[in-house]
Amino acid sequence: MLSFIARRSATGLLMLVALSVLIFILLRLAPGDPIDAYINPSVPMSASDLEGLRERLGLDRPLPVQYLAWLGAALSGDFGFSIQRSGVAVLPLVMERIGPTALLMGTGLAIAIVLGISAGIFSAVRRNAPSDIALSVLSFVGISSPAFLTALLGLYFFSVLLRWAPSGGMQTAGAPFSTTDVLAHLILPACLLSIGHAALIMRYMRASLLEVLNQDYVRTARAKGVREFWVIIKHATRNALLPVITLIGSTVGIAIGGAIFLESVFNWPGMGLLLVNAVGTRDYPVIMGATLVIGVCVILVNLLTDVVYAVVDPRIQVA
Amino acid sequence: MRIRTLAFSIAGLLLAGIGPVTSVQAQSAKTIAGGFDVGPGGFPKNFNPLVATGGYTWLSTYFEPLVIFNAGLTEIEGDLAKDYKISDDQLSYTFNLVNETWHDGNPFTSKDVKFTLELAKNKASGSLFAARLANIASVEAPDDRTVVVKLSKPNGSLLSILSQLMILPEHALAALPPESLATSTWWSTTPVGTGPFKFNRYVTDQYVELAADDDYRGGRPKVDVLINRYFESPAAAVAALRAGEIQFTYVEPDDAGSFKTDSNFKVIEGASYVVNYIGLNQKVDLFKDIRVRQAIMYAIDRNAIIDSLYSGAAKPANCGYVAPHLVPEGLEPYAYDPAKAKALLTEAGWDKLNGDKPITLLTYYGSPQAANVMAAIQSMLAEVGINVVPRVVDTPTYNGIVYKEGTPDWAAFPMVYAGLQNGPNPAGLNPGLNKSQIPPAGFNTMRIEFDDLSTALDAALGQTDPAKLDQSWQEVCKVMNKDLPWATLWVANRYGVASNKLRDFVWTPAPGGGPYAAHPERWDIQ
Amino acid sequence: MAITAPDTTANGTAVSQTKGPLRRALDRFFENRAARAGLLIVIPILLAVSTYPLWWPFGPNAIDLRAMNKAPSAIHWLGSDGVGRDVMARLLQGRRISLLVAVCSVAISTVIGFLIGAIASFGGRLVDGTVMRFVDLAMTLPPVIFLLVLASIAGTGIAPTILVISLLSWPVLSRMVRARLLELRERDFVVAARGMGAGLPHLLLRHGLPNCIDILVVYATLQIANAILLEAGLSFLGLGIAPPEASWGNMLNLARSTVVLEKYPWQWMFPGAALVLTVLAINFIGDGLRDAFDPRSDLN
Repeated sequence: MLSFIARRSATGLLMLVALSVLIFILLRLAPGDPIDAYINPSVPMSASDLEGLRERLGLDRPLPVQYLAWLGAALSGDFGFSIQRSGVAVLPLVMERIGPTALLMGTGLAIAIVLGISAGIFSAVRRNAPSDIALSVLSFVGISSPAFLTALLGLYFFSVLLRWAPSGGMQTAGAPFSTTDVLAHLILPACLLSIGHAALIMRYMRASLLEVLNQDYVRTARAKGVREFWVIIKHATRNALLPVITLIGSTVGIAIGGAIFLESVFNWPGMGLLLVNAVGTRDYPVIMGATLVIGVCVILVNLLTDVVYAVVDPRIQVA
Repeated sequence: MRIRTLAFSIAGLLLAGIGPVTSVQAQSAKTIAGGFDVGPGGFPKNFNPLVATGGYTWLSTYFEPLVIFNAGLTEIEGDLAKDYKISDDQLSYTFNLVNETWHDGNPFTSKDVKFTLELAKNKASGSLFAARLANIASVEAPDDRTVVVKLSKPNGSLLSILSQLMILPEHALAALPPESLATSTWWSTTPVGTGPFKFNRYVTDQYVELAADDDYRGGRPKVDVLINRYFESPAAAVAALRAGEIQFTYVEPDDAGSFKTDSNFKVIEGASYVVNYIGLNQKVDLFKDIRVRQAIMYAIDRNAIIDSLYSGAAKPANCGYVAPHLVPEGLEPYAYDPAKAKALLTEAGWDKLNGDKPITLLTYYGSPQAANVMAAIQSMLAEVGINVVPRVVDTPTYNGIVYKEGTPDWAAFPMVYAGLQNGPNPAGLNPGLNKSQIPPAGFNTMRIEFDDLSTALDAALGQTDPAKLDQSWQEVCKVMNKDLPWATLWVANRYGVASNKLRDFVWTPAPGGGPYAAHPERWDIQ
Repeated sequence: MAITAPDTTANGTAVSQTKGPLRRALDRFFENRAARAGLLIVIPILLAVSTYPLWWPFGPNAIDLRAMNKAPSAIHWLGSDGVGRDVMARLLQGRRISLLVAVCSVAISTVIGFLIGAIASFGGRLVDGTVMRFVDLAMTLPPVIFLLVLASIAGTGIAPTILVISLLSWPVLSRMVRARLLELRERDFVVAARGMGAGLPHLLLRHGLPNCIDILVVYATLQIANAILLEAGLSFLGLGIAPPEASWGNMLNLARSTVVLEKYPWQWMFPGAALVLTVLAINFIGDGLRDAFDPRSDLN
């Protein structure tokens, strides 16, 4: 197990370097640089001033030189400063965003897991009954709805019309920090976020439980006279959870990147919003830093999923 | 049940991240919150006024310039300078300063002004004022309350440039080398200004909170706290405004309509001072013929677009200006006349020149209204046989295309739908039109090299007699109307919406956010 | 990247053993109620989309400044938008664009995914290792960044949107193909073919492709649904199909304006409903196909 983890960490490190090269090249291919993002085309400025800025940022050096300079600094833990926010260092800026994103994603996923798994079990047990069909159709609608549309509609109905929840942000501006305040801001986006995930988890849970219910050991349990409720809860569900765990694992990996649509509609100060913003303003150091942090998280989560999987299912060997 | 344990530990971790429960403090402090950086006048998350290209509405609540436009943007009045005198030869400006203290208690003196002007002139600080202040020969501080600025050459725009230069505290910044100023955290953590509010804290990317400055010379502000919230889009800000979380924000023209009938809000309307135009790239062969440019003017029914898409809130522009004192009599009005447009195109041989090949119409305007305007223009031009294809890109992409170093790809922007600031200082159009301003030297992205126009612009810029100034700019307008360097469209209005709870609140949709004398110390909330 | 779970509702009845596997799969497919419903939705949609210029009087980009924001009526069945364009015409044109983008991007990503997966599995250990690390890399790259950066490089418009969506979705497929073919590689008939000196193209097309057809078909249908959602999302961020071209994304984008959301609901409700309905139908079909190709479903 230890050598497995060591080997995966080594490839992970190489992968991160490759990732940074890839993003660096992609970024420089995109039209417009940070200075171009700075110019408001409607407000006249002097072009010679901008040249000065470009020089100061080192954007006029050859690309390999710029990359190596970045890599050298990054290896020593220095990810530079955000170009578009005076004086803000990249690493703290990115790290600051992990919390809110984890909070939103964690809550959303937790709601989705509870809803999805219970609906999946319910649906599988009542297979082909009207309630199963209704739930299935509902879950398909959930999967088929674009995230940005549900976000917009949710915002409009629950915040603007009904005023049940604040319209955006993570805390009331100007108020001192309080948990209830954060929870009030969290609940609406988290619920909206959970819709799609819950639908997906439900589909998986239902299918996997149906498959397990057909297997010999479940029949044996039934034949032994174990009550149907316990058959489902104790014998079947536990085994049916395996593929669902894989699904949740891969979702968590992606989730670190933030929910761009929800975060932009709800102004949630998470990773997704940071990235949309940074790409929009060509804030190279922030994009590079954020990509790497997300990359590290994805690699770690994948590793963790494999390990958890091995622990849950002793048949799987990691070597 | 490992799953359950896992779920609990995740939940535990999340809760631990939030911290202990504290009760929400009673809101005893009088607070105004707004989206002051939403929209074209804002420049969110920028805290360094030396490198700002906007956002002055907000910056001027805690920093102050020497002189400032009045709220109507019609004239310049004193701010940190009580008054000022200009010598007859226009080479020497004398400013008499007010008595004020910095937020940290140190007195404000002429040394601070001298320090700021020299810093702004110094390219190393990253200052965007360096080129515009290049003809300042010297700054003298004969006593604590007097500053004398000497120029090497008259500059009619000096005062309007100074109105955007926020005076900075020498005692706090002199110790820092200018090179490190641009990346200093001072700006967003402990900035010290002279304005009616003082900087309290910045919650990264969410909001900035200011507190009243008790000894402000204009009297203590009527509210205790002023908050600027950041929004990703005007729509998010509108949601917060309607939910009662903020009391003010810029809104898109479409949204302004829905607030006009709502008695809880007041819609503030004002000229944008940005002239919208269709730029015609002079490096492509299509638009060298004046008849083609005239045809485009005749083909677009500007009044119909203004009436329908702008609900009448725009003024058609027959040159770069619409302000009455800058527009001479006897301009060609280019009234909608598709038949004439077709005739002109035939005369110019448009069939051979281009025919119905698609021409890209590039823009950086991404609002829904702009999309509608472009659709209308596309369909009107198609009517006379010009096939344009709108292409919306974000601002960096737009700039990356039109300012590309070396030889840009002219075919990528044969036509642009853009805007340029034409007031309150009419010289704003010079960088976009003068042949001396062709990139990389300046901002003439359409590569317009019309001698008559450049001569007129240079004459107006060099005009030292204030009595003849308007006349010189009228001449520019006349040449623009005749030569059509751009197909000028209109100057539209922009909108802010304020809650009816606000009292004595002043906001105006000034380009780049002003600044203008908004007197935040008088703002109040019920 | 929603990949719907296998749905075992398809209750294949006992089928005569004389039928070929493809025929049996089709039979199973048509037994599936949801899949049939999906087809019933999709076929009329395709018909309407391909023929609408013949029977609908309005063009998608014909503006009419005198008929702005009109509610649904006998003339404009689904109302008109902010420049007086007919919502029905734009809806159909938007569906045409969305389907075009979805089908093309899925076709491209299927080809890329299959080729990469196949090359990895047949190319030997070294090739396999290199290619799969490359796939891992593509999967580690946060989709958010990839999407945003790629879209800003490629620009807006139909072709760039197709490119972005196809480049984003192939890695999952190539993994599935590789897994299938690795197993296949060791089978006798493939070993025999290699022994007789069959080249890579022969192996891929003669043996690889037929044995992956079920994976490919299922992936393609489900991915079409995803591509439609992705296109809408991209246009929402201002990166996909640029206005005034009609697409569902930029029609839904209008709902960002409170006025439209509140006062002119027909401008976003109809495209929204059309999008959900189409994606739903394609999901049904995809699920039906997945069950139909699952050899175990006959045993249930």
